[in-house]
Amino acid sequence: MMVIESAGLTDVGKKRKGNEDALFLDDSLGLYIVADGMGGHRAGEVASGLVVETLGGYMKRLREHGDEEEPSDADETLSREANRLLTGIHLANWSVHRLSLENPAYRGMGSTVSAVLLTGTTAVAANVGDSPIYLIHDGSIEAIYKPHTVQAAYGALHHGMIEQQHLRHMLTQAMGTQTTVEAHICEVQCFRGDILVMGSDGLSDKVSPEEIRYVAVRNSPERACRLLVDMANQRGGDDNVTVIVVKMGPVGGGRSRIAGIFARFFSRLFGDGRAKG
Amino acid sequence: MPVLTLKFEDKLLEERTLLDGESVTIGRRAANDIVIDNLGVSSTHARIDSVDGGFQLTDLQSKNGSFVNGRLVSSCRLRDGDVITIGKHTLVFAYAPGEAPSRDASDFLEQTLVMGAEDYNSALNQNYQPGKSQELNKETVGVLTYLAGGQGEIRLTRKLTKIGKDPDADIPVAGFLVGKIAATISNRPTGYYLSYVGGMAKPRVNGAVVKESVKLEEFDVIEVGSAKIQLTYQFIYKK
Repeated sequence: MMVIESAGLTDVGKKRKGNEDALFLDDSLGLYIVADGMGGHRAGEVASGLVVETLGGYMKRLREHGDEEEPSDADETLSREANRLLTGIHLANWSVHRLSLENPAYRGMGSTVSAVLLTGTTAVAANVGDSPIYLIHDGSIEAIYKPHTVQAAYGALHHGMIEQQHLRHMLTQAMGTQTTVEAHICEVQCFRGDILVMGSDGLSDKVSPEEIRYVAVRNSPERACRLLVDMANQRGGDDNVTVIVVKMGPVGGGRSRIAGIFARFFSRLFGDGRAKG
Repeated sequence: MPVLTLKFEDKLLEERTLLDGESVTIGRRAANDIVIDNLGVSSTHARIDSVDGGFQLTDLQSKNGSFVNGRLVSSCRLRDGDVITIGKHTLVFAYAPGEAPSRDASDFLEQTLVMGAEDYNSALNQNYQPGKSQELNKETVGVLTYLAGGQGEIRLTRKLTKIGKDPDADIPVAGFLVGKIAATISNRPTGYYLSYVGGMAKPRVNGAVVKESVKLEEFDVIEVGSAKIQLTYQFIYKK
């Protein structure tokens, strides 16, 4: 397993009354989740909370009970880990959808989900909705999620179209609004020093990928989260803001030099991801 | 009071001032307050009600939907300058200069909404050239063709394609120094990436050794052990 250092932070922002974002971090599972809920009267909070709880709980159960719960309808274009994550997302979608049908107060509620599962040598990134997932590798940042927005769908059709404000937050898919979802999945090889940054659109609306890269590379995950949330709030804080930063392998920046050397030593000693098959 | 202007293409068909407390129905049937005689319009298509000093459009479960500024809506508070599209007709909702109520602060909070896939397909077709919606289902898929060390083609349909000596590898390659999994090709939103995973023999792209990851371009030549393969793109249509 790679040496991991991670942190997450969520903030209500400057304009909203409640926080409809939810997050989940578990280094031992290698699982990180951001969910951004929607729906009035606390329903958004319920939806995002349920997404995180269901998906996190499912992955934990799989870990504890081993191979008992292998999905029967596995997608053969995906690895085993990616299939597991996908099954968890389907389960979470169904949980939210069912609750929204049962309880009139929750009708129409929904949530985005962005999840990363570390497998030791790779990271599986899955998303439904528009919560961003970025990979920072070798000094450059890259989006490894696909936003399910009408804007993105327009963009695919009409190249060079001007961004339309009213389409930016219009989702084509969300957790809990339909009986099924089609998550976007991406699996990438991980290297020491790679950084994954996930968030809600409250982050990506206010802070550019290049700024995110700059902050994440130079700071410890904890401090990077704080700084990125502060940046979003200083620029209006129109929405709830959530950030998760996961660093793989030895890290410099916010750490002392000695700690960095030790981390490097231990990561060599206990294996680096690339050595395994 | 706001004025609702009915237009077809550039022709002005009707103007109607909306009054406080009044409800106005729009539809194909003659009994509606605003009649649009077109088969794409439902008999009672939508209604505009006076609500809290403003006006709200409600779609009455019409067959082809009601759109406000290109967005499919079931119910929507109208703001100065909004363009309602019903069938091929448009209705412009506008106040006289200086008369528009100040916008509610909540209007500026960016609301996140969800629409179904069919809805947005129809929304796209409504406002842009029809017949292009199949572009949505068009996907680019990478295809690897052997130049040496094997035969045939491999379609990169997997999110992560494994190359190596391992029998489980998606692309098996021979070679003494080749790793069980020597390299992977990852399908990312920005394109295909080749990554080195393990083994003494590192993969090469266009002759250059790959130590970590490199983004692949069409016609790149990948060498792993004895295999020499080239990437090209194909278009496939889903469904």
